[in-house]
Amino acid sequence: MSQGTAVWITGVGAVTPLGHAYDTIADNLLEGRSGVRRVSIFDIAQHPSQIAAEISAIPCPPGWDEEEFAGLHKLEQVILWCCTTALRDSGWWEQRGSTRVGLVLGLGAEWLIIWDADFRRGGKRVFSQEKDAEPLIFRTRRKLGLKGPGITVSAACASGNYALAQARRWLELGWVDVCLAGACDAGVTTLGQAGFGNLRALSRRNGDPQAASRPFDRGRDGFVLGEGGAIFVLEPAESARQRSAHVYAQVAGCGAASDAHNMVIPSPDPEPAIAAMRQALADARLEPASIDYINAHATSTPVGDIAEAHVLEAVLGEAVHSVPVSSTKSMTGHCLTAAAAVETLACLIAMERRAIPPTINLHEPDPECNLCHVPNTARPMPVHVAVSNSFGFGGSNTCLVLKAV
Amino acid sequence: MKPIQTASTSVVETALSCDLRAHHSIQATLDTIVNLRRRPGPGPGERLPHNFLKHADEQTVVGLAAVLEAIHHSGLSETDFTNWGIVAAPSFLGRATLVGALQRFEAEGAWGISPHFIPHRSQHAVSGTISQVLKVHGPNFGTGGAPGSGAEALLAGAVLLEGNRLPGVWVVMSDWEPELIPDETGRPAPADAICHATVLALVPPRPGWQGPRLRITLPGRGESPEFDASKSLKSIAGLGALLQIFSHEIIPLTVTWQFEGGGCVELRRGASIVNPPKWITLERRNARNRAEVTQGGAGTENQR
Repeated sequence: MSQGTAVWITGVGAVTPLGHAYDTIADNLLEGRSGVRRVSIFDIAQHPSQIAAEISAIPCPPGWDEEEFAGLHKLEQVILWCCTTALRDSGWWEQRGSTRVGLVLGLGAEWLIIWDADFRRGGKRVFSQEKDAEPLIFRTRRKLGLKGPGITVSAACASGNYALAQARRWLELGWVDVCLAGACDAGVTTLGQAGFGNLRALSRRNGDPQAASRPFDRGRDGFVLGEGGAIFVLEPAESARQRSAHVYAQVAGCGAASDAHNMVIPSPDPEPAIAAMRQALADARLEPASIDYINAHATSTPVGDIAEAHVLEAVLGEAVHSVPVSSTKSMTGHCLTAAAAVETLACLIAMERRAIPPTINLHEPDPECNLCHVPNTARPMPVHVAVSNSFGFGGSNTCLVLKAV
Repeated sequence: MKPIQTASTSVVETALSCDLRAHHSIQATLDTIVNLRRRPGPGPGERLPHNFLKHADEQTVVGLAAVLEAIHHSGLSETDFTNWGIVAAPSFLGRATLVGALQRFEAEGAWGISPHFIPHRSQHAVSGTISQVLKVHGPNFGTGGAPGSGAEALLAGAVLLEGNRLPGVWVVMSDWEPELIPDETGRPAPADAICHATVLALVPPRPGWQGPRLRITLPGRGESPEFDASKSLKSIAGLGALLQIFSHEIIPLTVTWQFEGGGCVELRRGASIVNPPKWITLERRNARNRAEVTQGGAGTENQR
């Protein structure tokens, strides 16, 4: 297999604030339901932002010991649920031990999350290296019995797109037969809520949680923390055809560029993000006018949404007034490291359900975000080409193009 | 860089090769990091705002310093890095700062957490910071996170270089040896712990290149070689020492590290045929300034 040979998505596993099963997530996204609530998993009273899109309890995947699974950290539960579900969904579960299955996993700060959680339970792992010997990537490979290589990628909100790009290349090189790729996070923690809150990045609309995440709306005041993950099974088109596998989409194009400006603040120069989108479209050999849907990064911050709108204007040209754009973070919150992967899932749902999920809480569009919005209600229409933007801390700009098969 | 199709006895294996255009290693104690934070190195490091690295993690500071020294010592000072990529693999990033953050949270509540904590202690912080200094507009991301993930960083860097057709990729690896673990008062310990950073500038392979070259292979279909942890790339300091050997001595040496999943990274001198290769065992605790070279096992060359 060589560069340019098609790579298809044939399996999906996800944990989101809108549910943990594909159909449930799809129904909730297209119904425009918000997953944002007052934080319930720790005492939130002293935090500036008191709302988040938490995930509910993660069921034990079939085949796992329930007691052992319940004892794992939430982040590891998310990873295992997503991987197991994706492998089962794709039909590769039974063959995973006899096939070269790779794993490219977007993780942002696994040790900080695990040490923090342990400390809150009275543990002292942060003071000792003894129990930190095995990173989650290796644990996951071992627990799943995978035979292929595994790496983590970390580019904040853009991690999922980097993971899919890396996995696609492994498949093109023939290094793996099948590759799990995606990203997971469990960032609704005391430190996360406090750190982002003190950065003044989070919405303080504490009295009306479900209206707090409002990308592109004039009344937006910051993002809402979310959490979860999505992992996809990628395989060569030829293999999927031979198996008569259910195909969600082709990973048609990837683009990435860095701002080189600031660790947190988006660059006032839109060129790097424009470059990422143009690279992805060129990689997919598509013109901007052929895009049916853009899942925007739009987190609901005053600065970021405008910056992205300017990027879309530059890339789409005249088509900016006709290509539908929405931000599903209005419903899922900002899932941080998992964001790009969760939004790839939203694109797959748009393609499969032939409907574009809306930006909820978009009642008064910011005039500086003059886009073809899909406000508040899903828009039924066929989606053959979907584009997902993800721009992360550290100045990472990424774009993924998905094509219907 | 183009994939190389290599016929072996039973399978067709695809390998990636890249040249090691520059490399550098730095070892720094907490005391010396104070100075590096103010002046991390020559060239772009001299033009940074005085507080640019104020909130950066120690591994970021040392990783950046190593990149700047590599540029300075390798004739890359005039190179335009705009389209390069960066992959960084810090190890246990932010442990020491987290202890302080947890204690401040206990004492002061949510307001005690610095807004700089998350941006500068997430795994992408090293690559993101270096991208700002070098004005890199190509891709940047973090990988790994724990000791032993150096080979994965090289794998990710080589794939990025080849797949995105970049002119070069910086691979930045760092760790503490021994691990810097604060005591329960928050004081970093041990005080003489050393932060190591080894950086490599990967570029596409060029004809006639005599310097170090990396080659990355994964097993073909049907092969399932056992992973041998003793042959993984564990020591950042050891890698730095080994690269010094490659730089200063013309020795017929091939070094191979395995990564989980059966693949391997091979380091050897470009334009040279080496047989037999040698395994290099780099013991983490003993590798501050030397590499232990042991003959044993068989390298990838004579397995084919």
